[in-house]
Amino acid sequence: MADREYFDSLPPFESEAQTELSRRDFITGTSLAITSVVATGAALSPLLNAREVPTKDELLQKHYKQLTTEDKKTIFARLETEVKNDYGADVKIRDPQPLDGVEYAYILNIGRCIGCRKCVYACMKENNTSRDPQIQYIRVLKLNQGSVDLETSSHDYPENEAADPNYYYMPVQCHQCRKPPCIKVCPVKATWMEKDGVVVVDHNWCIGCRYCEAACPYHARRFNFSKTTIAPEDINPDMGYLSNRIRPLGTMEKCTFCLHRTREGKYPACHDACPTGARKFGNLRDPESEVRKILERERVYVLKQEIGTLPRFYYVFAK
Amino acid sequence: MMTHEKPALWWLFFFVPAILALSLFLFYHTLQSKSAPKEPKLINAKFYKVETARGQTLENKSIVGNCHLCHAYWVAIPKTNQTSIPRFAHAGIQLKHGENGRCYNCHQITDRNNYVADDGSDIMVQLPEKLCARCHGLIYKDWQLGTHGKWTGMWQAQKNGDRKTYTCTQCHDPHDPKFKYNTIAPAPVWPPKYIRTKLEHGPVGPASQYLIEDEPKEIF
Repeated sequence: MADREYFDSLPPFESEAQTELSRRDFITGTSLAITSVVATGAALSPLLNAREVPTKDELLQKHYKQLTTEDKKTIFARLETEVKNDYGADVKIRDPQPLDGVEYAYILNIGRCIGCRKCVYACMKENNTSRDPQIQYIRVLKLNQGSVDLETSSHDYPENEAADPNYYYMPVQCHQCRKPPCIKVCPVKATWMEKDGVVVVDHNWCIGCRYCEAACPYHARRFNFSKTTIAPEDINPDMGYLSNRIRPLGTMEKCTFCLHRTREGKYPACHDACPTGARKFGNLRDPESEVRKILERERVYVLKQEIGTLPRFYYVFAK
Repeated sequence: MMTHEKPALWWLFFFVPAILALSLFLFYHTLQSKSAPKEPKLINAKFYKVETARGQTLENKSIVGNCHLCHAYWVAIPKTNQTSIPRFAHAGIQLKHGENGRCYNCHQITDRNNYVADDGSDIMVQLPEKLCARCHGLIYKDWQLGTHGKWTGMWQAQKNGDRKTYTCTQCHDPHDPKFKYNTIAPAPVWPPKYIRTKLEHGPVGPASQYLIEDEPKEIF
């Protein structure tokens, strides 16, 4: 009994007073809850963009080197459907294999380049690179006569400053080096050098870390910051899996010496587009090819030779 | 709660508007990215057309290589003091070929359908390289090797038709050989925010033409 009196004399529990919910508290609590849910939803809204979330097949796709012929058929069919859905163009993806006894070399005659940039745009057309934001594999440098001083060169000279005899022009693209720094730094081995010398990227394996772009001394690598924007009429439907398919968002891309063309014996697109014949391409292992003959006779220059990348892209000063 | 203190949860006055502003900002960003992208322009076909440095002007010329249209018939041989003056149908031609100022150094004076070799014999008009080789022999050798000039087709030509070699006059206008090629494609397009056009903290010395503080001046 004394306990009962003792407990009765105590002030009431705070919890009793708090079980009453005032209107003020109700309104503030609800508005807080609603705004926090809305803020979370807005923050997670980029996930609604379905393209960034991979499909199961895409997620489980193996590295290119482990694919069998049947795997490749299914994968290419899936990629062709994706291109049709995204861009509305019918394309054909194939996978030409490297030719035996072939090592490609590219020679650029600085004495004849006029800096017209036709090679740049022919490359964009052939390789289905993004138009907006613009991705170009070839960069044409405009240098002062007298030395190869890259630091005072210009790579965004306007059209009216091309074909200027007081300067010379030097296009730079992926040199397909014999000792490429880019493949050494790839953490997932999504890029490697093929038998014929071309350095390729498996775009479905690439994680987009851009280490290769940082490692390349020639800044030959390009990253897809956004989804490739290209008009369906402008798409080149003849695609190679490793070379000119439409690259997914967040992967690296670069010049591949148009391997979907060169592995079938044709010249790269930039070679054909050059109006002055400054570009030469061929098989270095063939003693009768023009690249062998040029390298034996002309004054050859290798860009950033001191780094030791041993590029397969040579510059000559010839007439 | 009913006392004279500050109203309960007074910090909500700041917190709720901040949350609202944050969610509006995020919604705005989502709305922006969901707008339809504008259709990209096609690359102008003349920027990737396979042609030579004389390609555009050659297309418009109908008489080039067709001398026989007039010269199938006998035309008088000009006098010695007129062999450097183009007349009649050729009056519009200006010969700017360096030291070579005489028409009949290249054209056969007795048969204007052909060119002339060193010994006076004829060279067919389909073989201008033999004519040009008379003076430009070293370039001719380079052209045969592939160093000079342009050829397309297959990089390992094994049969006829694999290689299309452009001959001299398909790139060089023989009366005015200096290149006047004017299909120049535009410069790369970069978003303006990536282009650094001025020093951010003012010039720091004579090297500031090449450096911005310690970094080399670089634009993407």
